[in-house]
Amino acid sequence: MKYRLFGILVVLFFLAWRTLDGLVEGDWGRLEGGLSNLGVFFRESMWPPNWSVLEARSYPVCEEDIEFFCSVGYLGMMETLKIAFVSTILGFVGAISLSSLAARNLMPIWVAVPVRIFLSAVRSLPSLIWAILFVIVIGFGPLSGVLAMTFYTVGYLGKLQYEVFEGMPNDPLEAGRAMGLSRPSILMNIVIPENGNHLLSQLMFMFEYNVRHGTVIGIVGAGGIGYYISTYLKFLQYDKVFALLILIFIVVVLIDLLSLAVRSFVNEEGDVRKPTWLNMLIQARKQD
Amino acid sequence: MSNEAILSLNDLVIGYGDPLSEPISLEVKPGEIIAILGPSGIGKTTLIRTIAGLVRPLSGSFTLNLERRGGLGYIPQRLGLVRHATVAHNVSLGARVNIPWSKTMFQERKERTYEAIRTLGIEDKATEPVRRLSGGQQRRVATARTLAQQPQLMLADEFLGELDQTNVDIVLGAVGKLVENGTAIVMVEHHEDNAKNFATRIWEIKEKQFLDMTIEEWIEQTSTGEEE
Repeated sequence: MKYRLFGILVVLFFLAWRTLDGLVEGDWGRLEGGLSNLGVFFRESMWPPNWSVLEARSYPVCEEDIEFFCSVGYLGMMETLKIAFVSTILGFVGAISLSSLAARNLMPIWVAVPVRIFLSAVRSLPSLIWAILFVIVIGFGPLSGVLAMTFYTVGYLGKLQYEVFEGMPNDPLEAGRAMGLSRPSILMNIVIPENGNHLLSQLMFMFEYNVRHGTVIGIVGAGGIGYYISTYLKFLQYDKVFALLILIFIVVVLIDLLSLAVRSFVNEEGDVRKPTWLNMLIQARKQD
Repeated sequence: MSNEAILSLNDLVIGYGDPLSEPISLEVKPGEIIAILGPSGIGKTTLIRTIAGLVRPLSGSFTLNLERRGGLGYIPQRLGLVRHATVAHNVSLGARVNIPWSKTMFQERKERTYEAIRTLGIEDKATEPVRRLSGGQQRRVATARTLAQQPQLMLADEFLGELDQTNVDIVLGAVGKLVENGTAIVMVEHHEDNAKNFATRIWEIKEKQFLDMTIEEWIEQTSTGEEE
């Protein structure tokens, strides 16, 4: 069995290699010097990161006591976080309504299939395309960003949620149905409590995802830190771009830690041992 | 208490594709306790699931003569509990189904929930998630849920399971309260002793036939069989 799995992996790797060769049309010469080009670009344009992005902007005049709160980095990141937060919550509410209609164990197939097709359609447009659409419809600014991310969140979370619902044990659903609980009551009192851990975990994942993608949609004018990245790229100020990228990286790591902390309070492990910062960072061992 | 049948099976044929029974025509009246006996795989669970509305009958029909919505209680083989929710939440599901909308609805639901929890002796576990309880305690929770529901007909699939005698006494004592109020019980049972001590009638399945006997007839038949 072990050798067969290894064999399959080798064949898949070979196939991927052949496909890549086809894509570059055999012209591997393009890669020549790529690494040294990257090195030169990094040394001459990006390094050292320009931390002036964390200082107050020259206009409008800063009225805060601490300069940092008027900086491009802070203002951009806060706007991105706000967009991500609002769209994750709105998207979660929309997704849970639709995913409960899309799960085959909760709804008849003639309801589930059209809702699934709708969710697939919403999901098939990346958040960037949604952002472009909303920028065209309602103009530049964070509202376009919020709507774009909300739509994408509905499509993405909706799929994750109906798959979790379909994987739950059938007996609580059957007991609820036989007892005469209504469909909304089954959703609120059986399905959501039974899958609470998964839903929370997906919610945290989606928030982190939306923060990361918030930077991308800002590039098309939908608000957030991406707007500043896009501006600096246009003026070839790569050192400032690099500083903002480091800032995004730090925020994503912090969200990931927060997500681990929240989830460790509700998972099975939480029954026997409350999490510490150490066992959140290092995968917790089962208590002997 | 009206003596009209709560459940009537009219030439009912059960099964998944292939029939598991000959046409069944039986009635259940208020306050009756029916134990369904028979070897594994013969259709006991399928019958319960058909009456619960979870499996379509192959032919024939059944009539539930229930006075109110939520008049049917059901304890499946795997108990049907929400494992990640608390004991109180699970029990409240029973109280949720048939209390009419009113100002006192929430108060009434709470009272019924905690009364059922107290009857089953699990008040110290009320705020714990069900997944942390032992198998016996979980069976008590499922029974409390049905007790809070106060159904007219209770369907139970091996709900006594492998309980020890103490737990059997607690659970049957609680179910006895329902019966006093006219609830009829149809339960699948593997242990003949439980059936003998608790049931008033027996449906025994033999070669696709449902034999309907009073408990006395069944005891007599089994003792004659043993003597032979």
